[in-house]
Amino acid sequence: MISRNKFIGAVEIGTSKVSVLIGELSQDRALHIIGVGECQSRGVIKGAVADFKAASEATHAALIAAEQSAGTRIDEVYLAQSGGHLEGFYNEAAVNVSSADNMVSALDIDTVCRLAKSKNLPDGRMVVHHLRRPYRLDGRIVPDPLHLVGQRLEAGYWTVHGPEGKIADNIHVIRGFNVRVAELILSSLASGTVLASPEDRQNGALVIDIGAGTTDFVLYRDGSAQMTGVVPVGGGHLTNDLSLGLRLTEGQAEKLKLRFGRATVVTKDRAEKVWLNGDFAIGDRQFSRYGIEQVTSARVWEIFEVVKKKLGPAFSAEKTASGVILTGGTAKLPGIDEAAAKVFGVQARLGEAPGWVAENLRDPAFSSVLGLLQYGLSSRAETGATTRRKTSNWIGKLFATA
Amino acid sequence: MSHLNVNPPSTRTWRDIPQNVTTKGMTREGKKRLAFAVGNIVGLALVIGAAGWGIYELVSVWENNPSRITAAASSVPLREIALRTDGVLDKAWVMRTLGLPKGARLMELNLPQLQERLLATGQVQTAVVARKFPDILAVTIQERSPVARIMAQVGAGAPQAFMVARDGSVYQGVGYDLQLAETLPFLDGVKLVRSGSGFARVEGLDQVSDLLGAARANTPVLYRTFRVVSLARYAVDATITVKSTEVDAITFGVVSDGFYKQLARLDYILDETRRQNPSQPLKAVNLAVGGSQVPVAFDIPTVTADGRVPHAAAKPAAPFGTALFSLPPRNSSSSKRDF
Repeated sequence: MISRNKFIGAVEIGTSKVSVLIGELSQDRALHIIGVGECQSRGVIKGAVADFKAASEATHAALIAAEQSAGTRIDEVYLAQSGGHLEGFYNEAAVNVSSADNMVSALDIDTVCRLAKSKNLPDGRMVVHHLRRPYRLDGRIVPDPLHLVGQRLEAGYWTVHGPEGKIADNIHVIRGFNVRVAELILSSLASGTVLASPEDRQNGALVIDIGAGTTDFVLYRDGSAQMTGVVPVGGGHLTNDLSLGLRLTEGQAEKLKLRFGRATVVTKDRAEKVWLNGDFAIGDRQFSRYGIEQVTSARVWEIFEVVKKKLGPAFSAEKTASGVILTGGTAKLPGIDEAAAKVFGVQARLGEAPGWVAENLRDPAFSSVLGLLQYGLSSRAETGATTRRKTSNWIGKLFATA
Repeated sequence: MSHLNVNPPSTRTWRDIPQNVTTKGMTREGKKRLAFAVGNIVGLALVIGAAGWGIYELVSVWENNPSRITAAASSVPLREIALRTDGVLDKAWVMRTLGLPKGARLMELNLPQLQERLLATGQVQTAVVARKFPDILAVTIQERSPVARIMAQVGAGAPQAFMVARDGSVYQGVGYDLQLAETLPFLDGVKLVRSGSGFARVEGLDQVSDLLGAARANTPVLYRTFRVVSLARYAVDATITVKSTEVDAITFGVVSDGFYKQLARLDYILDETRRQNPSQPLKAVNLAVGGSQVPVAFDIPTVTADGRVPHAAAKPAAPFGTALFSLPPRNSSSSKRDF
């Protein structure tokens, strides 16, 4: 059989833009990013496809741009999934170690995992992710309990699920380009994978990806994702607030937000004015800088408060030593790290892409698509390893019973 | 909890969403990609089908009539022979030599056999025979160049002149210009041995070729006087003896000195002899000895009582004198021979 490199497309169909990266996966599993494509999004509201045709056209335009940039065709797609329709719950299970010598076997692990994942979902909903928390053997946290000695093995999964129709819509947009969706990955997980280091995940970190229509977050502790969530509020709401509050068009409000918006109020002089355009043309108006900052900061604070509320008791400042990592287009708002630090009571910083990422892809808006490639490849490698382990166990059992 | 009773309800994941696609939900680019993919599949299917059909045909022919597989494919009759040569042989000679039957088909020709026929003539050094489809036989040959002639008798026939090439091959020259062929000196002092339908190669012809080549290039006047080149003493003392119209025996050494210098000395000796003793022609010159003195032999004419030189008929019986011909020193300007 002729083996060749695989070309993987990482696609995020966001509320404001569609981003596509093409990675070339070589035989030795080395990934090279060879193409980028972006297009203004249409037909997507709060991360969910509302107009299939418009969303398809925008997504396919971005895919074509990326393919032209890479000079090749995409073989399969890793697709980001976001939106307020996604929910999650935690379920855990425990089994008594079956062998007489109390040594944990692969069968024990398989059983406890299947039990922990086996909670029924409401009608019409389907699983997007099963995120396993670390195993517990007789109460102690262990990364891999195989061949360890103990009596009671516990496993817990944070299960992310969503309505079948909305998930299928996203997949069908990609299928309309005649490319298979190989992986469906939560946007927050993708961003977290690329921005939070293994040390951050071990010490505890909260990664918040503030997009235009949604805010995705993931909480890491003990080296794994503990909880994820999506708040259907994003940078677009800041624009909307300014538009309503200052009686501006969306475009004008967006312009003011980008030029004068802040996540914290720093202007002391309430009489300080800023011009809308600054060109003294007809229609150019003055606005209170203090007022703009107040509107934008209030919404940012509200977003953080909602995230904190959704996290509930799962979040504690003591167990989030690495603090809050912010990313997404809205994370470029000045003072946002300060606001996050005040709301969550931990240190906060803007996420920085790893050193291997090219300069043109270091923008926070690309962290999600970069993470799609990284998470997709690592999860596939993990799946492959599990399959191999299962096969070897089967062979082992065959010889054991012979 | 007992493992045997574990039968948890299965949950549906996003992977259960069917990813089959209809063209209705596709954009133009999607449809284009689909058409491309379908084209690829169809193309692959056609290739596999064609390969399968080919294998089936081959197997069925193998089972029913295996000779068809090994038989040469039929082709159109040979129309032309395209000849490329670096010598004098022409197309008519090639056709005569190949002896192809009339109406022979290109695929029926036995190329190695035809090549053998060409090489058997001796004049052809290398030959390449190739089919040029649909109906041309391409013949490319490299010919041997004759260095000398040799008289030999084949069977009971009269002796005839053969050509000798640099590599010692003896062959019956075909197509050479007669005037040019007659300028070639005869080879003497060698014993021809039969080999198949021809003769075995003669040793020492490379040295003869070098000598004659140097003479032809540098002293063409001298070369034209060369009549016989003898290898009689080549095996004994590595010398080549040349009989010219002026001197009966000019001995060249193949190891003592280069032919160029020997020819230069000979030229000088002949000039000086003509100038100093026009009545005493040289009988022998031994250039193989080398050094600044060259042994020469003069033909001393017998003087009668009345002081006249007798008729030339008496010459063979006449005694001759030997001397050492001193050559001028190398640094003397007059010794520098410039051909």
